[in-house]
Amino acid sequence: MIQLIRNEWMKIWKRPATLVMIVILLIAVLLLGAFNKYQSSGFSVPDNENWQHGLELENKRYKEMLKDEHLPSETRNYYTKEIALNEYRITHDLSTNIEYSAWDFVSDNIQLISIVGLFTIIIAAGIVANEFNWGTVKLLLIRPLSRTKILLSKYLTVLFFGFIALFVLFAFSFALGAILFGLPEEAYPYLYYSDGVVKEQSIFIHLIGFYGLNSISLIMLTTMAFMISSVFRNSSLAIGISIFLMFMGNTVTFLLANWFDWAKYLLFANTDLTQYFDGTPLVSGMTLSFSIIMLLVYFIVFIGLAFWVFKKRDVAA
Amino acid sequence: MTSIVDLKNVSKVIKGRKIIDSLSFQVEEGEVFGFLGPNGAGKTTTIRMIVGLISMSDGDIFICNESVREQFEKAIQHVGAIVENPEMYKFLSGYENLLHYARMMKGISKEKIMETVELVGLTERIHDKVRTYSLGMRQRLGLAQSLLHDPKVLILDEPTNGLDPAGIREIRDHLRMLAKERKMAVIVSSHLLSEMEMMCDRIGIIQEGKLVDVQLVKDFVAVEQVFEIELNPVDTAINYLKNVYPEVQMTSSELGISLTVTRDKIPEIIKTLVLQDFHIFGIKEVSKTLEDRFLELTNQGEGQK
Repeated sequence: MIQLIRNEWMKIWKRPATLVMIVILLIAVLLLGAFNKYQSSGFSVPDNENWQHGLELENKRYKEMLKDEHLPSETRNYYTKEIALNEYRITHDLSTNIEYSAWDFVSDNIQLISIVGLFTIIIAAGIVANEFNWGTVKLLLIRPLSRTKILLSKYLTVLFFGFIALFVLFAFSFALGAILFGLPEEAYPYLYYSDGVVKEQSIFIHLIGFYGLNSISLIMLTTMAFMISSVFRNSSLAIGISIFLMFMGNTVTFLLANWFDWAKYLLFANTDLTQYFDGTPLVSGMTLSFSIIMLLVYFIVFIGLAFWVFKKRDVAA
Repeated sequence: MTSIVDLKNVSKVIKGRKIIDSLSFQVEEGEVFGFLGPNGAGKTTTIRMIVGLISMSDGDIFICNESVREQFEKAIQHVGAIVENPEMYKFLSGYENLLHYARMMKGISKEKIMETVELVGLTERIHDKVRTYSLGMRQRLGLAQSLLHDPKVLILDEPTNGLDPAGIREIRDHLRMLAKERKMAVIVSSHLLSEMEMMCDRIGIIQEGKLVDVQLVKDFVAVEQVFEIELNPVDTAINYLKNVYPEVQMTSSELGISLTVTRDKIPEIIKTLVLQDFHIFGIKEVSKTLEDRFLELTNQGEGQK
């Protein structure tokens, strides 16, 4: 199995297109870095001596608002959370006057995950279809290995590529962030609020989790591209559909969710799990476990189709 | 001789149409088996069923007594194949291509790879990208790929397609050598008859998915032999010979006389002619070509329906 993955890995990296992808990713990070650094309005430190007083005022205002009986429950939750967080900052002397640091840069670069997604989709769409286009599939399938193993090695390679690309994004963002903006003198904890209690979390762990959650739609779209690639043997179709859905899926689902309750069964209603941590669900009544189950169902359908068709196919042309 | 590849009543139905109709034959070790038939007769489909690229609708194929249907992974480890053109990863070097396939099988060392490269004569260019290879070199690389694991069966689908005469000859020599020295069973498909005649020991003719005939090339071509004797004067010679050998069929031809006889009679006939003072300028065997036989057989097949 390791050998098969090494093969796929070799076939990915020996093509110039792949290197171009990584270079584009690095350039995108560089551009964002330069933009943040030299933007004149910039991220000057809010030099606010009275930050504690500011937070107290804010809390006062929120409490006023909470007195309103007709406040929707989501807004109510949001205010309660903000109040708790502010109070925690005041009591533990965590100033809001913090400089923009490498960590913030890493956090901002989460938007570049869509570029990683784009590239991973391209790899996934090609990894099966190309073998058919090149005609090499004939030599690949006459080895003493089951087709399931061969396809599995390809899928794992795609996931590994996605993971490496994310790692490159994370590591390079951090490195560049550290050079341009510096590291904070002392680790500033990330505060989060759950079940009425405020907790501290290391910013590093928080960002890893944040990247992980944002990668879910990446994994699902990649799996879908892989499935289309395996079923239709056509990489352009796989890239086209997946990228279209990547950019339009969320919007369309969001629109549908306004009118129809069944929108919650759509893939894109469930890919963003952060909606359950900070925010409100797309369709009320959706829960974290509902989304996880939906994601699993989609995943099993994609993978099942890909393997079933690949195993049964007569390689004729 | 032991049979290595054994097809038993293999059929393939695609969309209700029988492409292959209960095909059965065996290929033995050390022989080159030619698989001959017009385009669309089912050569490629049969070969792809042997290597498991296409599923069988009925019947089974055994390679070294292991079923392709039931134990594909075991059966296929005895097989090396090139299916149609040897399509390689053009962006990899020849060596990387071989490494790629070597990794898919157990226990193939780097030395073994280089040894195979040496065998097909690609040592000098093996680290160049396949993109820069000529068709002949790609064919050799394809052959190397199929020989990496010392298979017992070598299967080549149209191995000489698009090769120049030198390339064709090279492939032919390789195949004969592998069959004779390594005791491999070699299966070759083609529609190029002259090619098959020189390459194969035995030929199976397939038409419309059915096996029409399997014969040794020797028998196949030499059922009847025609000899042409160039001599002078023709007319008297014919008359004379007709008296001496009334059972022999003969006609006057462009240069002299055509006789249809068995080979062992020739010295005797010549001796008689010389003693009778006929001027003999030459004698040659006009063997009936594979092409004639092939057309004869396939036409027969059509006629029977």
